[in-house]
Amino acid sequence: MGHKRTNAAIWSWTLFVLVAIYLPIVCGALASFNKSRYFGFPIKTYSTEWWQKTLDSIEIGMIVKTSISIALLVTVFSVVIATFGALAFARYEWKGRKLYQKLILLPIFFPQPVLGLAMLLGFNAVGIQTSWMTAVFAHMIWIVPVVTLVIAIQVYGFDPSLEEAAYDLGCSRTQVFREVTLPLLWPGIWSGMLFAFLLSWSNFPLSLYTTGADSTIPEWLYAKMVAGYTPMVPALGTMATLGAAGLLLAGGLVGILLRRRAAA
Amino acid sequence: MLQTIPADPQSAELPPPKPILQLVGIRKSFGTFTAVEGIDLDVREGEFLTIVGPSGSGKTTLLRMLAGMDTPSEGNITLHGQLINDVPPNKRPTCLVFQSLALFPHKSVGENIAFPLKVKGVDAAARKARALELMRVVRLPESYFDKNVMKCSGGERQRVALARALAYDPEVLFFDEPLSAIDYKLKKTLEKELKDLHRETGKTFIYITHSLEEAMVMSDRIGVMRAGRIVQIGTPEEIYGAPVDRFVCEFVGEVNTLKVQRRPDGTWEGVDVPGTFTLAPPRDGAVLDEAFVVVRPEFMRILGPGESADNRLEGVVYNEYSLGSRIQYQVRVGAKVMLVELSRGRALPASADRRVTLGWDAADAFTLES
Repeated sequence: MGHKRTNAAIWSWTLFVLVAIYLPIVCGALASFNKSRYFGFPIKTYSTEWWQKTLDSIEIGMIVKTSISIALLVTVFSVVIATFGALAFARYEWKGRKLYQKLILLPIFFPQPVLGLAMLLGFNAVGIQTSWMTAVFAHMIWIVPVVTLVIAIQVYGFDPSLEEAAYDLGCSRTQVFREVTLPLLWPGIWSGMLFAFLLSWSNFPLSLYTTGADSTIPEWLYAKMVAGYTPMVPALGTMATLGAAGLLLAGGLVGILLRRRAAA
Repeated sequence: MLQTIPADPQSAELPPPKPILQLVGIRKSFGTFTAVEGIDLDVREGEFLTIVGPSGSGKTTLLRMLAGMDTPSEGNITLHGQLINDVPPNKRPTCLVFQSLALFPHKSVGENIAFPLKVKGVDAAARKARALELMRVVRLPESYFDKNVMKCSGGERQRVALARALAYDPEVLFFDEPLSAIDYKLKKTLEKELKDLHRETGKTFIYITHSLEEAMVMSDRIGVMRAGRIVQIGTPEEIYGAPVDRFVCEFVGEVNTLKVQRRPDGTWEGVDVPGTFTLAPPRDGAVLDEAFVVVRPEFMRILGPGESADNRLEGVVYNEYSLGSRIQYQVRVGAKVMLVELSRGRALPASADRRVTLGWDAADAFTLES
């Protein structure tokens, strides 16, 4: 009896949480299929008209391109920096390591709007014109620490004697890195890449201050909500969400396939 | 005259093989902590040398210096007469089998074994052929070539690690307690296989362990380390039969120790148990006023009526343990507990009276500095 009741409680709670999380997303998607320009439930006529308009829009095309460019660059740079950063974080003993471990994590806890404002003032002070490229830098301030942490977890689970053994078996330092360190850190690096891309893709507060004249998807969504709403807003929002979900799914799948191949 | 006969190159009278590795005055300190100090050691070409010592005795530090993973703070290491203090591990013709084995979890059994060959740039076909050959040497079935190393059992992993080290074709192989996590029975098998492998390959093996039992089975020579120094080095027979001090003696196994004082007449008087004892002279003719008598439990006897021994003690048996083929008795003598080991056939009858007379001969005991 007690067991059954516990089970029922777990199920209803899970259901509540899932509905609370996913219902708004579903609402957004539904809103994008509204034929009418103005938002309202229940939807009288469904249409894919606004999706078509979104896909055809040159402005949105540029915005998506900007978002992708920022996210890709952030991914590449953060992963390289964070991989070596994670080795310094978790693998090597050095003076000042404890301080570094604390300092590297601090940006995660800064309020992002404050961080964005500070970055904007900083860029102005040194005379850098803000554009999507300055946003890459701004995103990295927040994303590198996160990715460092993700990869550091992988480094902690890695026996340092493996590197020593490779070195002892004749490897040069570069060969040790290529043959042992990199393949063993790969799962962490892969998760780090997904984190970096998705966190950049969805970032609003840092982009708001630091993209200058350029605009990213979250910025465009916000601007259009404030003035000039059309169902293109939920349409692009839904596309961005689906894109992120698709990337995550593909990333997970690649991870599983690689693991299965390694286990064979 | 024997001396006039031309030396037969195959005779046992050959001079000892020349040292392949030489350590002179080695010290290693980490900050203010000195891990290893005053090590002078000649490792002979082709020998199986084991360094034993309790944990923290500095044996791993010593091995890491030999393998090139640490550099000595002082002293010289030479290989074939060439100074190698600062030669990194990848440039030394030596290879270490790690305690953790350090097998690459992302590579198959075959890829692990062929790894040193891949690093050297050997082509894939030749690598595979050599790896399969080595798998035969270490008794791994050919079908394991593509097996995931993480799916191998403990014993199989040992063999993979060994084959991988051999693939590097080192002149000297180092072992850092690779058998410590293996169950007893498999350990015995692997010890014998390692010994066989040593004979077959003719390479120099340097093995470290905290288990003297392991060392006794495999080694040509054993060095006993304590607090960063080598306190004794010799054949297993020498270590067992003529330990230089109490530490070495106790390291070999459970022993009985009695503190004694010398009387003016040359006999010895017990300090913790009353009695007069006849002892063998101390090692190297040292003159001692106080000494420890060390008697191994297997040399301590329980005297029957009419039996005699150089030394006698009266005691009461209060405990007995089965050691399989032997039985160990704990005998209380005054405030001391003495250990006696008898073969099962000579076990004490289970009589009510457990009062016994212990005895041992002077020649079966060691007289050591206190």
